[in-house]
Amino acid sequence: MKEYRYVGKPEIRIDGKEKVSGAAIYTDDINFGPDLLYAFIVESPHAHAMINSIDTSEAEKYPEVLAVVTGKDFPYKFGLYMQDRFIFAQDRVRFIGEQVAAVVARNPKAAKAAAKLVKVDYTEIPAVIDQMEAVKEGSDLLHEDLENYNHVPWFFPKPKTNIAHWRKIRKGETQKGFDEADYILEDTYDVPRYAHCAIEYHAATGLCDKSGRLTIWASSQSPHTQRHLFAEALKPLGFTHKDVRVIAPHVGGGFGSKAGVTMEILAAAIATKVKGHPVRIMWSREQEFYNTYQRLGVKTFLKIGVKKNGKITALDHKIYWDAGAYVEYGANVVNAVGLSAIGPYNIENASIDSICVYTNLPPGGAYRGFGYSEFLFGLESHMTRIANHLGIDPIEIRRVNAIREGDKTAYGANMNPNGLLKAIDAVEKEIEWHKEFKSSDPNKVIGKGFSLLWKAPAMPPNASSSCFLKFNEDASINLLVSGMDIGQGYLTVMAQIAGEILGVPPSKIRTENPDTDRNPYEWQTVASHITWGSGNAVKKAALNARDQIFDLVVRTKHLPKDTLYLEDEKVKCTQNPNFELPLKDFVVDGIQMKDGTFKGGPILGKGTFLPEFSTAKSNPETGQGGHPNVHYTTGAAALILEIDKHTGKMKVLKAVEAIDAGKAINPDLVKGQIVGGLVQGLATVLYEDMRYDDKGRLLNPNFTDYKLPTAKDIPDKIVPIIIEVPQPDGPFGARGVGEHTMLPAAPMVANAVADGMKVRIKSMPVTAEKVVMAYLDKDK
Amino acid sequence: MPISHEFEYHKAKSIDEAVKLLSENPENSKIIAGGTDLTVHIKEDVIAPDVLIDIKAIPEFKEISFSNNVLSIGANVTFSEIEDNKIIENNFRVLWEAASTVASVGVRNRATLTGNICSAVPSLDSAPALFLYDAEVYVKNSDNERVISINDWFTGPKRTSLKKDEIVTKITLKFPKEKTASCYKKLGRYKGEDLAQVGMGVLVSENKEYKVAVCAVGPVPKRATKTEEFLKGKEINDANIKEAQEILATEISPITDIRASKEYRTHIAKVMLEKGLKESSDLLSGKEVKSEPIL
Repeated sequence: MKEYRYVGKPEIRIDGKEKVSGAAIYTDDINFGPDLLYAFIVESPHAHAMINSIDTSEAEKYPEVLAVVTGKDFPYKFGLYMQDRFIFAQDRVRFIGEQVAAVVARNPKAAKAAAKLVKVDYTEIPAVIDQMEAVKEGSDLLHEDLENYNHVPWFFPKPKTNIAHWRKIRKGETQKGFDEADYILEDTYDVPRYAHCAIEYHAATGLCDKSGRLTIWASSQSPHTQRHLFAEALKPLGFTHKDVRVIAPHVGGGFGSKAGVTMEILAAAIATKVKGHPVRIMWSREQEFYNTYQRLGVKTFLKIGVKKNGKITALDHKIYWDAGAYVEYGANVVNAVGLSAIGPYNIENASIDSICVYTNLPPGGAYRGFGYSEFLFGLESHMTRIANHLGIDPIEIRRVNAIREGDKTAYGANMNPNGLLKAIDAVEKEIEWHKEFKSSDPNKVIGKGFSLLWKAPAMPPNASSSCFLKFNEDASINLLVSGMDIGQGYLTVMAQIAGEILGVPPSKIRTENPDTDRNPYEWQTVASHITWGSGNAVKKAALNARDQIFDLVVRTKHLPKDTLYLEDEKVKCTQNPNFELPLKDFVVDGIQMKDGTFKGGPILGKGTFLPEFSTAKSNPETGQGGHPNVHYTTGAAALILEIDKHTGKMKVLKAVEAIDAGKAINPDLVKGQIVGGLVQGLATVLYEDMRYDDKGRLLNPNFTDYKLPTAKDIPDKIVPIIIEVPQPDGPFGARGVGEHTMLPAAPMVANAVADGMKVRIKSMPVTAEKVVMAYLDKDK
Repeated sequence: MPISHEFEYHKAKSIDEAVKLLSENPENSKIIAGGTDLTVHIKEDVIAPDVLIDIKAIPEFKEISFSNNVLSIGANVTFSEIEDNKIIENNFRVLWEAASTVASVGVRNRATLTGNICSAVPSLDSAPALFLYDAEVYVKNSDNERVISINDWFTGPKRTSLKKDEIVTKITLKFPKEKTASCYKKLGRYKGEDLAQVGMGVLVSENKEYKVAVCAVGPVPKRATKTEEFLKGKEINDANIKEAQEILATEISPITDIRASKEYRTHIAKVMLEKGLKESSDLLSGKEVKSEPIL
C-alpha cells in the first residue's frame, strides 16, 4: 500500500489546543449583551390531549416579560423526512413534555415564573403507549390525516392506522428456504428506548434583526439542514434561504441528538416575534431526556432456518418500532433497518418487515447506530444460539455465512469490498477465543461473547458535500467545509486529506465549524458518512487547487504538467531536481514575469461530491431494484466477561473490536472511536434504559436513575483493531466507522452471559438483576 | 434551571442566632448546610421556603471529637471530612465505609451526615452505621435541647422526629466496649455514584454478639433485631448463615421500584448478610480481607 505523508498518520487534532486551553467557544458561551432575552417553554402534562384554549394574559402582564407565543403564532409544519409536526402544538398534544407555548423575558427567572401563569385547558383523549397495541386494528389514532402529510418518496405510510412507514424486503423464496432448513429458531427480542446524554445540552439562540435577517447559533450536527428546515417552515413569514443563517460553534457531544431539527426551531421561530433581540433557549437535563430525539424502542420477531453445517437457508425478521408521537426523523431509522436487518450475511431467502408505529411517547430519531444496535441484539444473539444448538463454534457459523464482495445485499445490489473475514480472524486471535478461561474467585464465572457488526450510511441518495479551499499569503490554508467536529476529529481528518494532496502539513491548515453564510453546503454530520462524503469533496477541492497551481507553473515556467508534484509546501519537478518553487511565493500574489507583470492570482479550490450511483427507487412490495445504501462498513468484536453468580454483577475483563475502516486517515482517532463507541454500547446493554409509566411519563429523566457508566465501570482492557480493505470510491479508500463501534456490544454481552451463566437474556438492558434472577430461576 | 421564587437568606454566626431565626418562622424556613438535596428541590419547585438559614458559618458545627469512647460529629461535617478522618477510619469502620459510598466526590465535599439523616430517604447510606454505634442526635430550639436515640429518629420515608423549630447540633456515636469488627455493603446499579438499593452494616463482637442494620429495604432504616437475636452466641457457619438469611427476609420489607425489584433486593440482602458476617468475622480474627463496600 502506498505510503502517505499525512494520511494514515496519527496527526494531532487541529482543534485540540483550542479545546484543552478552554479557548473553544460553545453555543452557550457566546455573550450576546444586555438585549438578550430568555425563553421558557410551557409543556404538555398529558401524553394525549386536545387543547381547548390557552390563556396567556396573566403571563403577559408579568414584569420583564416581552412576549408569550403559542401554536397560533406559528401554524407551520416541519420535518426532515416527513412533515408531521408543528413548531408548537396546535390543537392537540401527543406526548408529555411537548411544547405548547413559550414565555420570553429579560431574565430566566421571570420567564420561568411567568410560564407558570400560562393557563392551558386540555381535554385528555386515550393515549397509546405500546407499539404492539398501537399497531392493532381499531387502535386510537395519533394522526388521523396521515395520508395528507408530505414525506420522502421512499416512505409508505398506511392511512387510518398508526403505521407511518412500512419497509418491506422480499428476497428469494423465504418459505422454500425454511422448508429446506434442518433447524429453525424463532424468538422475540425487546429493546427499550435510550437517551444520548451528550454532556453539552441542546442550546440555541435566535436573532431576527429589524431588516428581517434571521441568524441562529446552535449546538448542531446539521447547520445546513437546519437552515433549510427553518427557511421552509418560516416561508409564510417571508423568509427565503438567503435570509436565514446558522452558525455552529463547537459541540459538546451529539451522538445523533443534534441532527435534524428539534428545539432549535423554537429559537428561530420565537426570534421573529421579538425582532432586534437575541433569544436564548437552553434545555435542562430533564428536557434533554424527554424533548429531543430518543433512540426508538423495538420489539423484534426473528426466525432463521439453517442447514446442519450452519448455512442459513432463510430469514424472517419482523421489527416493530415504538417511534413516538412524531416520526419526521425516526421513520428513516425504520427504513434503514428494513434495508439491512438481514445482517452481514449472504442469505438467499429473506423477508423483512420494518414497521414504524406512532405512539404517545416523545419522538424517536437518530442515535449513534441508527437502529442497527437494536436489530443486531436479536440477530447476533440468534446466531450464537443456533451455533450452540448445532454444536458449531459461534465464530465458525458467522464465517460460513459472512457476506463477501459481490454477494447480493437484501435489496439486491452488490456488496462492496470489505474486510469482514479479516476482522473475524483478527478478533478470534486477539481474544484467544479457543482458550479456556476460569475465574480465580469461586463465586464468579467467565463467559465469552462474540458478535459481528455492519452498517451503511442512511441518507437520501442525493446527500451532498462541498468544500472551498483558499490559500493565504504564507501558503497556509483555510479549508471551508460544513461538516461538524462533534468530537470524532472530522476537522483534523479533512486537513490531513487536503494536506496530503497539496504537500502542506495539517498544522498549517485551519478548518473550523461552519457558518452557513460563508461555508459551502453539507447535508448533515450523521450516518458516519462525513469522512467519506465530505472527504471526497475536500479531496476534489485540493485536486482542483493543485490543478490551478500546476497550470500556472506550466504557463510561467514552461515545465510539462505531468512532471510536477507538490511536497514540503513547494512545487517540484520529477525531471529537474533543482526546480523548487515555494507555494508561499505565488499562491496569492501570482508569479512575476520578466516584463514585471504578474500571472495567476489567489488559488481557490472547490470540490463537490454527490453519490451519483445511489437511488432509493425500488419496488415497495419487495424493496428490490434500488441502490439506497452507498456501502457497508463491517467488523467483528468479542469480550471476556466475569460474572458474579450471587449478585449478577458483571465486569468486562477484555474487549476486542476490529473494524474495516477502508483506510484509517488518522488511526489514533479511529482507535478513539472504537474505544469510545464500545464503552457507549456497553453502557446501553449493562446499565441504561428509559422507563415510562403507563401514562407515558418518563420515570428517569436524570442521572440518578438513568445510569451512564463512570470511569469505575469501564472494561479493564479494550483492544481496537483497524482493518483496511479500501473503499474504491472513498478518499484514499476510507469509509466511516463512527457509529459502528457501539453496535456489537449488546449481543456479545448477552452471548457471554449465556456462555458463563447458561441463561439467555432476550431483553435489553442485560442488568445484574436480570442475570442473577434468571440464574436463580433456572435452578428452581 | 433558574429558581423562580423569592426567599430570604440568612447566614447564622452562632447556634443561638440560628435557632432564633428558625423560631421566627418555623413553618416556612429551611436550614441549609451542604444544600445538595435542598437546592435541587427548590430549583424543581418541590418546595418553596420563605426563609433559608445557612449554618455553614457556625464554628461548633464543623467539629469532630472523640473522647470517653464517644465520637461527636457536628451538624456541618461533610462526608468528605468523615472520609478523611483517621479516628473514624480506625474506630468506626462502617461509618467510614458508608461515607465513601455516598454519591460522588463533588457531592461528598458538600453533603453532610446531619443533612443525610434529616432528608431521611429510606436509602440513606449513613443510617446502618448510626444504628450499629448506638447514635444519638442532639437537637435544639430556642428554649431547650433534647437528645433523640437513632432508634426513634426515623418515623417514615423522608420523615423524622425533628420538630419544625429544632435544628440538629451534633450526632454522637459510641465506641463498642468489646473488640469488634464490621463492614458496610451497598448494592448500586454500578460502581459509580448511586443510591443504595440495599445497604447493610454488620458488626461482629468477640463475645459472639452480632449487630445488623439495613437501609433501602423498608420505609425506614432499622436494626434487623430478629436476625441479631438468632445469631447471638452462635458460630458463623453455613447452616447458621442460611437460617439467619431466612429470618432476615422476614423482617425486611423492600419494594419494587425503578431501581430494583423487591425479589432482587431480598436476594441481595441475604447475600450481603453472608458476606458481611464472614468478612467481619475474618477481620475480627485478624485475617486479611480484601473487601469492597459496593457490590
